[in-house]
Amino acid sequence: MSRPPRIWISSETPTRGEIVRVRAQIVHPMETGFRTLAGGLTLPMDIVTRFRAFLDDDLLLEWQPETAVSQNPYIEFTIAAFRGGELRMVWTDASGDFAEAVKTLSLAEV
Amino acid sequence: MDRRRLLTTGAALGVSLVSGVLPLAARAQMTSTAAPQPDDSESDRIAAEFLQGAVPLSAGLAMDLPALGDNPAAVPVRVHLTEAVSETSFCEELIVLAQRNPRPLICRFRFTQLTGAADVALRVRLMQSMGLHAIARMNDGRFLEARADITVAAGGCGM
Repeated sequence: MSRPPRIWISSETPTRGEIVRVRAQIVHPMETGFRTLAGGLTLPMDIVTRFRAFLDDDLLLEWQPETAVSQNPYIEFTIAAFRGGELRMVWTDASGDFAEAVKTLSLAEV
Repeated sequence: MDRRRLLTTGAALGVSLVSGVLPLAARAQMTSTAAPQPDDSESDRIAAEFLQGAVPLSAGLAMDLPALGDNPAAVPVRVHLTEAVSETSFCEELIVLAQRNPRPLICRFRFTQLTGAADVALRVRLMQSMGLHAIARMNDGRFLEARADITVAAGGCGM
């Protein structure tokens, strides 16, 4: 994928325990494997199989989309900011980990 | 570059453009072998597999859907816990089902203690008007469920 994921984050400097909302979207055809061309050729299934969000090396969230998830999958989730770190998001399809995005979270001094 | 060469290059470019357009024309004639589930049995089977005999509570989990899915190829769905998440009480796993889709399981989420929340939103493709069903498994073994019905505009689902 040549186009990078689009990421929005409610705060990169949250206070401790604050709920941080993250929105992420990636360009991907999400081909269901149900569609057939006029000649009878079936387009093979090609979907994002996994999305993971890590804080440094610790897993925060794992998402396993199936064929019902829309083209160019959009995912929104929240995390509680217990500590700062690198929020790393990784998208996986049959070709492997094909996209990654990183945001740095640092706790605000109160 | 002389005029002749420019013309031949242009012609070659034109040909490559046309061949690039051909799959688009074929796409218009694309058909789908996707068939909706005749009833909720497949969805209920997946739900039962997830529940492993447990009885889900109908409180604590909420699902938000628009009143009308005007674009069945991208219906916004939000699923979130309505009870407080703490270090000792959090959601471990969540499944979302579209009961009449060809493959009813929309997706599965896994959360950890570090997540500190369970609030997700995504966009789904729906084959027709149907019920959606979400089930969350909490770390203490409780299961929470939420159900919602949605009417989607006809056709163009793209499945």
